[in-house]
Amino acid sequence: MGEVAAKLKIMPESTDVDLNQLRKAIEKVVPEGSRVHAFAEEPIAFGLKALIVAVILAEGTSGTDELEAAVAGIEGIRSVEVVELGLL
Amino acid sequence: MAQTKPHMNLAVIGHVDHGKSTLVGRLLLDTGAISPHVIEQFKKEAEAKGKGSFEFAWVMDSLKEERERGVTIDIAHQRFDTDKYYFTIVDCPGHRDFIKNMITGASQADAAVLVVAAPDGVMAQTKEHVFLSRTLGINQLIIAINKMDASNYSEERFNEVKDEVGKLLGMVGYKVDEIPFIPVSAFVGDNVVERGDKLSWYKGPTVLQSLDDLKEPEKPTKLPLRLPVQDVYTISGVGTVPVGRVETGVIKKGDTIIFEPAGITGEVKSIEMHHEEYEEALPGDNIGWNVRGVGRKDIRRGDVCGHPDSPPTVVKEFTAQIVVLQHPSAISVGYTPVFHCHTSQIACTLTELKAKLDPRTGAVKEKDPAFIKAGDAAIVTVVPTRPMVIEKVKEIPQMGRFAIRDMGQTIAAGMCMETTPR
Repeated sequence: MGEVAAKLKIMPESTDVDLNQLRKAIEKVVPEGSRVHAFAEEPIAFGLKALIVAVILAEGTSGTDELEAAVAGIEGIRSVEVVELGLL
Repeated sequence: MAQTKPHMNLAVIGHVDHGKSTLVGRLLLDTGAISPHVIEQFKKEAEAKGKGSFEFAWVMDSLKEERERGVTIDIAHQRFDTDKYYFTIVDCPGHRDFIKNMITGASQADAAVLVVAAPDGVMAQTKEHVFLSRTLGINQLIIAINKMDASNYSEERFNEVKDEVGKLLGMVGYKVDEIPFIPVSAFVGDNVVERGDKLSWYKGPTVLQSLDDLKEPEKPTKLPLRLPVQDVYTISGVGTVPVGRVETGVIKKGDTIIFEPAGITGEVKSIEMHHEEYEEALPGDNIGWNVRGVGRKDIRRGDVCGHPDSPPTVVKEFTAQIVVLQHPSAISVGYTPVFHCHTSQIACTLTELKAKLDPRTGAVKEKDPAFIKAGDAAIVTVVPTRPMVIEKVKEIPQMGRFAIRDMGQTIAAGMCMETTPR
């Protein structure tokens, strides 16, 4: 089995949340063996921005639950959604 | 950048080791999606490392490294163009625990290439992926019968596998006559983009030609509006702003809308997408919409926005067809796992196992079974533990699919056949 990449769309609690702080926090909580590949910001509406993160999952990871739960636990994050998933 | 060609999301599915990644690599290489300077660089690296020949496997490995070295956010898919379309192509992981993401994920595939290795024929994941494509509403399929080089390019073997796959497709309701079956060797490069000399008995289209023959997917704008709420915000100076992706129908500024199961109505004051204001939003659009008459606490994730004349269906129970993908023991009446459907996650109880279906024919194999287990397809009655919006897959397919999760695993996937409204 090859490695799997997941793209997550992260919504902040409010427009006041500093997305750069979220980036740092996400880098720290990614499960062992998985790694953050890239970040991007996606403008949504009325000043709200989603933080997009591409993560390369640890070899042999089954599912995205652990990653989603780890990221969802960060303060300032409202919701986490896996928007794309594919083998590298 | 002006985008003139229509876009298609393409999923590559099939059993592990049947050559999905090789097929993707071959498509990219032979259509020129990999820039010549990258190929040149690979050749130099190959020579430097003493690899005299420029092998395809080497290209595959190097491509993967190249993607990992890059910084693009779009690492989970690849892009390539045909004469007619531009494709984003996703190589689907075979592991069952990723199935939840395929069902509830944002990038629904418009078409799929099913890869089946000629020496093996139909395997466990082939069946699973065929059922799931049907459940996910992927109506256009291309079948690549791969590794023909390992089956001596035998027309007889091709026909055997074609029959086997055809039966499987017919069973889940695909129109087999309309689906191309193509003998290929992705590794050698036969019938993917270039024709294969050793497959001269085959007169049909190549994989690339079949991709161009796909029909452009229509946006479901004629169906009733269904806009599941992802999150709800209060934005100062604006008011209540739910955000979400339009699944079906059209939402316009000034519309009166209703949120279900909350049962709250309001008026659309404005719609924004990418921070720009729009008069209306269409299926696939990710929007925030400002609503008058609705407070932030009145609605929540999992609620669905629609128009009052054809509101989202709130069910007290529904009938579903499911396929059990994995379960440590057996599932019987009373089982209450979590159903993931659009943006909602709701515990639901199976109150009746109506029938077990024959996986070969789709016909009823056993009425009122005592239990069902991994590998079984079944018709069941489901009662949500709290009000839930779900639609019949025949009426609004985008809102009728779900994944069943329990104990950190995807237990089953299914679709809603009948509803009993609240």
